[in-house]
Amino acid sequence: MKKKIVSLLMVMAMSVTMLAGCGAKEEAAEAPAAEAAVEEAAPVAEDSADAAPAAKEAVTIWYYWETEGHQVALDQIIQEYNGSQDAYEVTAKYVPFADFKKQLSIGASADELPDLAILDSPDHASYASMGIFEDITGKFDVSNYYEGTVNSCTIDGKLYGVPFGVNCLALYYNEDMLNAAGCSVPTTWAELEETAQKLTTDTVTGLALCSVQNEEGTFNFAPWLWSTGATSYDINNENGIRALSFIGGLVESGAMSKECINWTQGDVMNQFISGNVAMMENGPWQIPTMQAEAPDLNWKVTLLPKDSQNASVLGGENYAVISGGNVDGALDFLTYATAEEQVKFMMNQFGYISADQTIAETQFEADSPYQPFVEQLKYAMPRGPLAEWPSVSDAISLAFNKVITGAATPEDAAAEAQATIDGIVK
Amino acid sequence: MGKLKKFFQYENVGILFVLPAFLYMLIFVGYPIIQNVILSFQDVTAGNLVRGTKNFIALENYLVLFKDDVFMTSLKNTLSYTILCLVFQFVIGFALALFFSKRFTLSKPIRGILLVPWMIPVTVTALMFKLLFATDIGVINYILRSLHIIEENIEWLTTPGTAMFALVFANVWIGIPFNMILISTGLTTIPKELYESASIDGANKVQSFINITLPLLKPTIESVLILGFIYTFKVYDLVYVMTSGGPVNSTHMLSTYSYKLSFEMFQYSKGSAVANVLLVILMIVGSFYIKVTTEGEDD
Amino acid sequence: MDEEKKVSKKANLMLCIFSVIILCVLLFPLYWALITSLKTEQEIFQNPPTFYPHILNLKSYAAQVETGDFNMFRSFGNSFLISIGAMAIAVILAVPASYGIAKYRFAGRKAMLLSFLVTQMLPVSVLLTPMFIMFKNMHVYNTWIAAVLADATIGIPFSILILKNYFASIPKDMEEAAYLDGCNRFTAFIRILIPIAKPGVMVCAIFSFLYAWGDLAYGMTFILDQEKRPITAGIFNFMGQYGTKWSYLSAFAIVTIIPVALIFIFMQKYIVSGMTSGAVKG
Repeated sequence: MKKKIVSLLMVMAMSVTMLAGCGAKEEAAEAPAAEAAVEEAAPVAEDSADAAPAAKEAVTIWYYWETEGHQVALDQIIQEYNGSQDAYEVTAKYVPFADFKKQLSIGASADELPDLAILDSPDHASYASMGIFEDITGKFDVSNYYEGTVNSCTIDGKLYGVPFGVNCLALYYNEDMLNAAGCSVPTTWAELEETAQKLTTDTVTGLALCSVQNEEGTFNFAPWLWSTGATSYDINNENGIRALSFIGGLVESGAMSKECINWTQGDVMNQFISGNVAMMENGPWQIPTMQAEAPDLNWKVTLLPKDSQNASVLGGENYAVISGGNVDGALDFLTYATAEEQVKFMMNQFGYISADQTIAETQFEADSPYQPFVEQLKYAMPRGPLAEWPSVSDAISLAFNKVITGAATPEDAAAEAQATIDGIVK
Repeated sequence: MGKLKKFFQYENVGILFVLPAFLYMLIFVGYPIIQNVILSFQDVTAGNLVRGTKNFIALENYLVLFKDDVFMTSLKNTLSYTILCLVFQFVIGFALALFFSKRFTLSKPIRGILLVPWMIPVTVTALMFKLLFATDIGVINYILRSLHIIEENIEWLTTPGTAMFALVFANVWIGIPFNMILISTGLTTIPKELYESASIDGANKVQSFINITLPLLKPTIESVLILGFIYTFKVYDLVYVMTSGGPVNSTHMLSTYSYKLSFEMFQYSKGSAVANVLLVILMIVGSFYIKVTTEGEDD
Repeated sequence: MDEEKKVSKKANLMLCIFSVIILCVLLFPLYWALITSLKTEQEIFQNPPTFYPHILNLKSYAAQVETGDFNMFRSFGNSFLISIGAMAIAVILAVPASYGIAKYRFAGRKAMLLSFLVTQMLPVSVLLTPMFIMFKNMHVYNTWIAAVLADATIGIPFSILILKNYFASIPKDMEEAAYLDGCNRFTAFIRILIPIAKPGVMVCAIFSFLYAWGDLAYGMTFILDQEKRPITAGIFNFMGQYGTKWSYLSAFAIVTIIPVALIFIFMQKYIVSGMTSGAVKG
């Protein structure tokens, strides 16, 4: 009991110190002097670790991949890098995807950020507009990279990041189910609709695509929207309405489950390998899991069926160097990690395609299940880049969710989304 | 010094007991509340979170909110959700507390085990109910189908009305043990002799319940309801995991919408304004509670 | 204890049967989570669903032990440490505070009571950034102390509101008898009132512990290192963009529930009697 009281007193004493500290901080949030005063006022145990003769400077990375294979692959590259030089010691911290935006926002307010972040490409512009990223124009040769990936980290002509790797969405199909139903691989929307309906039985739905009302859903809807010729910012027209009607019609006819609005891409894949879904829209990063979980399943990948033009959406992550952190260390690691050997290793472990077009084209064998994604990538476009992309994306995902759930007609949903988007993009 | 000593005589000595807890809460929560109020009068988004000027725009964030459909939906949702949850979990919890206050062989062990739903982290509970309410693989649909209550599977979480029902259902499940245990503990403060003398006077069970149990439990009931109200009103984890505010924003609550604005759409000030609306409503309810509970106390 | 009326044998049996039915209905979701965790993914998607696992699959439990750098056992220890800490702070601060509010009519009492209510009204999301900045300045960011301090803010106001009723229900004459025995206000509080309010203190301790145990937002936001995070953070290892597996998720649910449930069932005798052996007599 005594011990408890003592520790309680310590806690109270600390709170008082802290109160003084945060008062100072509030007064002069932008004056570095106040910061230093706070540091001085509270010499704490943690500092002693830093004070020890550390030959290597620390470089911290934040990333959000929860897949074990991804974590292990990144870790291996980091270990190799740490062993290869004496100047920097890199450590990586996992911040869950659902928490990533929040942690970066809070970290930006509190000036507690990593030195390097690996983030979802459509969010890049928003963070860049916060001013937390270092301008690295001219420090990396990105001329061989896919244009869309470079655009996703370029704002006002300045480069604020380096693409990590890319992916895009294509169509997976269960070959046995297609053969049993006597269907051929669909290449147009009309064929897709017909095939999906033929494949739908009591226990199987023809098609699934993640339609969650967030960025993940927008990611999966974008190819259908763009295939009609509509753009992300111009939806309330014949093309935009046709895209919404097409997906809405699939759900209404039962060829696609309404549950899709609750299925993440991982759920969609689980439904597919469990044999509940005959075709799905998904990305190449699922392939390692699918091969491990359902080795006997007979599936193939093909281009997404098209309306008026081939289209897909560019996904993947970008590296971004945080300004004010250990910029030199971050750049040094980045130079190492973007070299061909490391890129090839990570891309293969991740089930990603290299953002470097020259590497991507020779990355896979001709009969590899990844090859269709390389083909599909030629038609893939990025979302944004736009600082307000999250709000645009929200309007788009709301529109197709309304259509899928029958809460609005495609026409009304398109008009409403357009009104929101016009309010954001002037 | 003499004045100080005089001040701490008699009733004011109570302040010394309260002060440590008060200061603790003031530091850790009072300061954020003030911060949040300031933020809600500014125009902070991603562009000026770290640098750039934060303009004072007075009530504009609030005015915008009242024209915002999603905000109005969340406001209505939060109110109806809270009231529905409160009614069901309180009534069921109260009934169970009375039931288990009887002395039978299994009363104590089973009452103890019934606390288990309360021990589960809400995020985990939310996942469990997401599984139970799933359309095709969900066991709730299967049971209802087997009992011939429904013919076709209900799309619980993908239809606006039923999604709300599923949320209420899950929250009531969590809330039952909470209500049950607090009322059970409250029941123990009622002297048994009162019931004995009442039954000697010829009162039946219903009469004793109305004349003894309810009046003596009044403080407990008030606390349970107000705490239940507050915790239900600011529900976050459950909704976030089960529906994330969907389908089509139909289950957004003030708390989830505030979170979405702040941390998913980078509209920090607007998010703060939503949180403050929530705070103001709770403060009104809270003041009402204080008024009722301290009424008739000798001041 | 003996003054309670025992029920007749027949009634006892009926009540027992009825209570078991209640138990089964209320705990069905848990049973479902348990069997789901033991099924294969294929069986989970089977229609109609199976009510017990036809093929026993323990893979999902093996996966809990180590996924990436998340370790179930270590995070369990972290959660335990954080919850105990938060509980200690909450109880130590809330017990005297609730006594003060219940027994003294000091100036500003209502305002204080209202402010305790208000402090638990803010949604967690708006507390995160200011708290984060505070903890960073206190140099406790990324340590379990940050989570303890934050989690205690949930338990304190709750405990005060519950406990004040306990102290209020203790008759004045018991306190006055203590004064006659030579106690002053503080010793009377410690020697006489706390023991009487023991059931209430017990409930508050349990609830404070459980609030901290169930917390996700604070633990996630204020602790960045995987190896220091509480057990609830593990949910993100299974529920993410790149894969949701019901067998894994429900195994995670069961693993988070079992240790606490065991502690409570093991200590039930003390907890339940602590809570219900109402010491107020007369």
